[in-house]
Amino acid sequence: MADRGGAFLNSLAGAVPGEAIISDAARLEEYAASRPPTASDPPALAVRPRSSEEVRSVVAAAAEAGVSLVPVSSGAPHVKGGSAPHSGDVVVDLSGMDRILHFDRRNRVAVIEPGVTFPALEEEAAREGLRPMTPLLPRPNKSVLASYLEREPITVPKYHWDMTDPLLCVEVVFGTSDVFRTGSAAGPGCLEDQWAAGNAQKNPMGPAATDLARLVQGAQGTMGIVTWASVRLELEPCLRRFGIATSDSTAPLLQFASQLARRKLGDELVLLDSTNASCILGENGPGESPGRFLLVYCVSGLPGYLPEEKVAYQERDIAVIAERAGLRPQYGDRAEELGAMLSHPCAGPNWKTRMKGASLDVFFLATAEPAPGLVDAMYEVAGRYGLGERDVGIYIQPVMQGRSFHVEFNIFFDPGDAGAAARVSDAAGEAAGLLAGKGAFFSRPYEPWVDVAYARCPDTVGALRKLKGIFDPGDIMSRGKLCFKGGETPGTR
Amino acid sequence: MIPEKAYAELEKAIGADNVTREPAMLDSYSWQPFLNMSGELWVARPAAVVLPASTEEVQEVVRACNRNGLKLKALSTGWGAQGGASGDDTVLIDLRRMDRIIEIDEKNMYAVVEPYVCGGELQAECWKRGLNTHIVGAGPHASPLAGATSMHGCGNDSISMSTSSRNVLGVEWVLPSGEVLRLGSPGSGAGWFCGDGPGPSLRSIMRGTSGAFGGFGVFTKVALKLYHWPGPPTVESEGTVLDSTGELPECMSFFNCSFAGEQDSVEAMYRIGEAEIGCIQVRMVTSEFILLIMPHLFPKLVRKGGAILEFLNEAMASPFTILLAGNSPGELAYQEKVLHEIIRSCNGIAMDMSRIGPARRLMGMNLLRCTIFPTVFRFGNMFATNLDGNEALDTQNAWTHTMEGYKSAYVRAGGLIDDGGENPYMINYENNLYGHCETIYLYDHRNREHLESLEPLGFDTTLAAIEQCNVPLAAFEPVTRKLMSPLACDFNEWQKKISAAFDQNGVSDTRLYTDEEDPDYDRIDPAKLEKLKELQARFRGKERR
Amino acid sequence: MMSCVRCSSCKWIPFNQMKSARFAKNCPSIARHGFHSYSGSGRVNMGLSLLEGRSELTEKVSEVIYSCQMCGACDTHCKVYREVIDINDVLLELRAKCVEDGELLLEHMAVIDALKRENNMLGEPKAARGEWARGLGLKDVNTETVEVMFHAGCRFSYDRDLWPGVRGSVRLLQAAGFEVGTAGAEESCCGGRAYELGYRGEARNFFEDMLARVRSSGAKMLVTACADGYAAFKYLYPLEGVDLPVEVFHVTQVLERAVSGGRLRPGRLPCKVTYHDPCHLGRMGEPFLGRWEGDKRLRLRSMSRTGKNGVYQPPRSVLGSIPGLELVEMERIKQYAWCCGAGGGVIDAFPEYAAWTAAERLEEAACTGAEALVTSCPWCERAFLDAARETGSPMAVRDLNELLLEACGESEGGDP
Repeated sequence: MADRGGAFLNSLAGAVPGEAIISDAARLEEYAASRPPTASDPPALAVRPRSSEEVRSVVAAAAEAGVSLVPVSSGAPHVKGGSAPHSGDVVVDLSGMDRILHFDRRNRVAVIEPGVTFPALEEEAAREGLRPMTPLLPRPNKSVLASYLEREPITVPKYHWDMTDPLLCVEVVFGTSDVFRTGSAAGPGCLEDQWAAGNAQKNPMGPAATDLARLVQGAQGTMGIVTWASVRLELEPCLRRFGIATSDSTAPLLQFASQLARRKLGDELVLLDSTNASCILGENGPGESPGRFLLVYCVSGLPGYLPEEKVAYQERDIAVIAERAGLRPQYGDRAEELGAMLSHPCAGPNWKTRMKGASLDVFFLATAEPAPGLVDAMYEVAGRYGLGERDVGIYIQPVMQGRSFHVEFNIFFDPGDAGAAARVSDAAGEAAGLLAGKGAFFSRPYEPWVDVAYARCPDTVGALRKLKGIFDPGDIMSRGKLCFKGGETPGTR
Repeated sequence: MIPEKAYAELEKAIGADNVTREPAMLDSYSWQPFLNMSGELWVARPAAVVLPASTEEVQEVVRACNRNGLKLKALSTGWGAQGGASGDDTVLIDLRRMDRIIEIDEKNMYAVVEPYVCGGELQAECWKRGLNTHIVGAGPHASPLAGATSMHGCGNDSISMSTSSRNVLGVEWVLPSGEVLRLGSPGSGAGWFCGDGPGPSLRSIMRGTSGAFGGFGVFTKVALKLYHWPGPPTVESEGTVLDSTGELPECMSFFNCSFAGEQDSVEAMYRIGEAEIGCIQVRMVTSEFILLIMPHLFPKLVRKGGAILEFLNEAMASPFTILLAGNSPGELAYQEKVLHEIIRSCNGIAMDMSRIGPARRLMGMNLLRCTIFPTVFRFGNMFATNLDGNEALDTQNAWTHTMEGYKSAYVRAGGLIDDGGENPYMINYENNLYGHCETIYLYDHRNREHLESLEPLGFDTTLAAIEQCNVPLAAFEPVTRKLMSPLACDFNEWQKKISAAFDQNGVSDTRLYTDEEDPDYDRIDPAKLEKLKELQARFRGKERR
Repeated sequence: MMSCVRCSSCKWIPFNQMKSARFAKNCPSIARHGFHSYSGSGRVNMGLSLLEGRSELTEKVSEVIYSCQMCGACDTHCKVYREVIDINDVLLELRAKCVEDGELLLEHMAVIDALKRENNMLGEPKAARGEWARGLGLKDVNTETVEVMFHAGCRFSYDRDLWPGVRGSVRLLQAAGFEVGTAGAEESCCGGRAYELGYRGEARNFFEDMLARVRSSGAKMLVTACADGYAAFKYLYPLEGVDLPVEVFHVTQVLERAVSGGRLRPGRLPCKVTYHDPCHLGRMGEPFLGRWEGDKRLRLRSMSRTGKNGVYQPPRSVLGSIPGLELVEMERIKQYAWCCGAGGGVIDAFPEYAAWTAAERLEEAACTGAEALVTSCPWCERAFLDAARETGSPMAVRDLNELLLEACGESEGGDP
């Protein structure tokens, strides 16, 4: 941004207070992607806006100067690379925008800024007997919005009706610097007007024939910056019992999970291999396990709605389904311990760092039938790179109420070992290419499989580039990410 | 008249038997009195109608339209004025020959369907496989593909099976350019199970609360999320609708719940959502039920001054019907017990209709397949609805009163048929993620006075929506869109940009997608115009601050 | 006509009865031709367009109007939702309009010419009309007083392949103790098909002719084996004010009584069959209920032509009375049965379309696992026999009466 920097800095100085602009190298270092293979340079600058208006001013200034902005909401470390800046980029750090703007118990919805973390929202929700849906063990400083915007799967599939869930309406500043509100938040009137009229920003679609929340979701900041969103909350159960079903292969557990999910039985429904279970439980480890894979599920009852009876019929129904599947689920301390951990943010640092210090995650969506074969294929590729079963953890999450599964491989490595990092990266890249040909759908493209994902859908790429040309014609938003490599966006030609 | 060259190209593309420009045949597509809010009964006669049989043929037709400067618009079942052409230069693409259920994936619970599969057909096939499909409130006549991609899509079963727009997985879409775009996993050759990604979802431009009503290319296949069906493969039923004598499956029961007051009813709907029970739930007042099943009695009651209807509506305040379905006897018993507790705590009565033989036999299939609701035509000859946006149930409830205020003025002036009250159709999505409400009104389209009420009433709907800070579903109408867009983030400016980017020759009939029109100001009450100006001044630009 | 809201109910069987996507459609015309104008609703919409002078009756429009079997399935499903629309009446009016304006199909003109010349729909010599009955010992209603006047109909009279069915009818009636007579060579067409083709003047002549014969016969009962004839006598005649002074029955109704009364005792006949409801015995054979004056929105259900009151149970009861016979139903039955394809003049003007329609039904029959498709209308039988031959379908096509006769231990060779 050297040649454009002066003008941009001047505009920025008028847009945000001085203390919101960070140029100190040590502090900028925190914004770099922290570990190989997606490690990045620190940004040229970071700016910490405190309001939607300031975000808009920052974007306007960047659009004017042609400076690339990378929005970041969660605290460090940044590992997946979705928010990794290139040198010369300016990070828009939204973690300071951490207000819960509105909390509506009756309609089970909260309007939150990007800096609101899972523990913060959980605490607020718990006061009203509600809970937010979480991905698997988010780190304590993980932004709720960042997670939802990245379509990270939630652990309770029965509440995952559509891929957008639990995200509802958003306010977004597009790369054009236009402000847009989606769903029933679109207007007329500001939020206060809408609340006064009884609205609760609950309809996630629209306005009219647009559904632009879906455009900014999964976009890794390439279309605009979300400044607040309404999110769906669920009733906090008053009675929970966890069960574990185990098997040496994923197939019966996937089938079991499908059967539970299709009947909306149970709450949390998470499939792990013993490696990942060990990582999650830490020192306690999974102990002697009768199978390599385990499906953890929760049956719960809701306060005020005959919780004991609900738990009772669910347990009976689940027992019947399990028997048909040839599984013997177990309840008890071990299930309770693991289950309790799955339902909340991670207590300590990221659980994936416990094994070797870092992990490179490869994840995609697939249906139940090819999933076991995809697991085998991953092991096969990993084996070629000298990676054993203890080096690759597996996490499988039913999504869309059981219509498909998020399949995630966590390849553990020592971040200090450059050779290991490169090997893991190569393995991940090769595996992605192989898996994509076997039914894996890489719906959330990160390095090193971005190109693998987009090579398979040239028509989608063409359409996305047209949209990029509309919503970010100056290519100032997270430049170079996804399929928007330099010079390929209509607006930049 | 369509130019000879263009017509010949269409014939060449899909065969002469599948193209027509015969005026009387075209007029069978122009007679569109239902949901024709202009007060007209015919819409424009299209330039031609074509019947492609495959995605490739649709592409050929679209390319021919591009080459010849013709507009195009696709329809599936074509029920309602939104299925018609808006100009005589439009080629209507009747997708009737694309009527296959491509696949029902039993394990992964989705179906891939073409445009002319109707909801009833799909549901019949699903039941045989232990699955169920959402059926829109319009009834099993309607096309699930159209509901999912292009129209609205709510229904009585939305409490358990969501709304069409949120049941979309993969999509195949012939763009206005003639190119095929497959959304989500099918675009990557990975099957039909997901409609979003890689990265940003292209479902973002396919539709929002509503779709583009045929104004943005042609949807040729869609994968729809299906749901678990605990009932038998077929539900035996004698008779048709009002003489139905079917049995309700053992695993189900249904209740008519009535309350001491309206707030109690709404509270019960909230709690039912929280308790996560219910397969079908719909709130309709007593007079609507009488209207549906006893149209002969209805006018007699109205003739008595409507007093009896009012009494019934008040005595049985805001009743709703709820059908419970259990995957096991234990679950059904649990749901029934919870329902009774909820209704009791809300000062209501839950009448177990499934224990009343005639009701059980009459309503079983009529509820499960949503077959009874189109009988609403029977008394008035025609009906329409004031479409609300979708929002919190409290807001939906308020809408019934707001619209009742407007509607009753027309009834008093003889501009609408007296139907005894507010007549809401109110449902709850996804265990009360949000709700939907429409206020039904009856009219006779052979009555000029009634037809002349429609535009002003549509204007009132827009006014009410602005007051309620909500973009109504009716924003597909050019007038409503023009009034709403500047107050809601200029959504139509973005729609126009998207349309232009994908439809460079302007080949789509965009009347119900991006076109804007002023209301006929001469026909609007000056006081209401004044109110509009005041609301515009109050709200303009505020939603972006 | 203005009441049609284009809901498309007329294109499907009643939704509560849908059991599969394969057999969910009810209208052969729209299923075959695709454009909306080929549906009940589309024809009503076209009619309104013509009436309002928006468009003209052309050769193509006439072709569309006549590409319809007049099977009435559209009207039946429409009535589920709407009291105010009588699609069948509109279809009849459109055809009358075609005749009035001279927009005629050549094939139909030939049929009507032959009808006028030979008194039958097949153009066969009128003198040969009674040959089917040779050796049955029937009385001559032209000269003798009879209890039962039997009307064979045009198709049964001349289609030798079908003679076992019609002769079987008579033998069963006789076995049940009825004294049966026919008009022999003097029998003429009922006129129903001519009426449906829009040739109302010609039809009226045949109506009057029939009335005179019935009056002179002194019969108490008019029994016909022809479903077209049954529908004409029960609906079209009273619609046109022609009041036959006898009770009119389809032969299956009489046989049902004979079987239930023990006058016929069928023996064991192990087979698995399915039954095809002829449109004109079913929904189109529903008796004329009188004209509703005033606001149709208030028309009583009992005054609506809902299709519920067709002859559905008698043939089923007859089949049910045969020990060892298993009746398996198709998905589309009774008032929402799929047509055989022959009606409304389609078999004359559009034989390929008629054959396609029949083949669809054979496929549906095959899906039941039945070895035979049984029906009780000669036009349906002919349509199915031809379609089975053309498509190579192994499905046997049987006349209900012939089957009952066989169960009663007798058989009809066919050629007298």
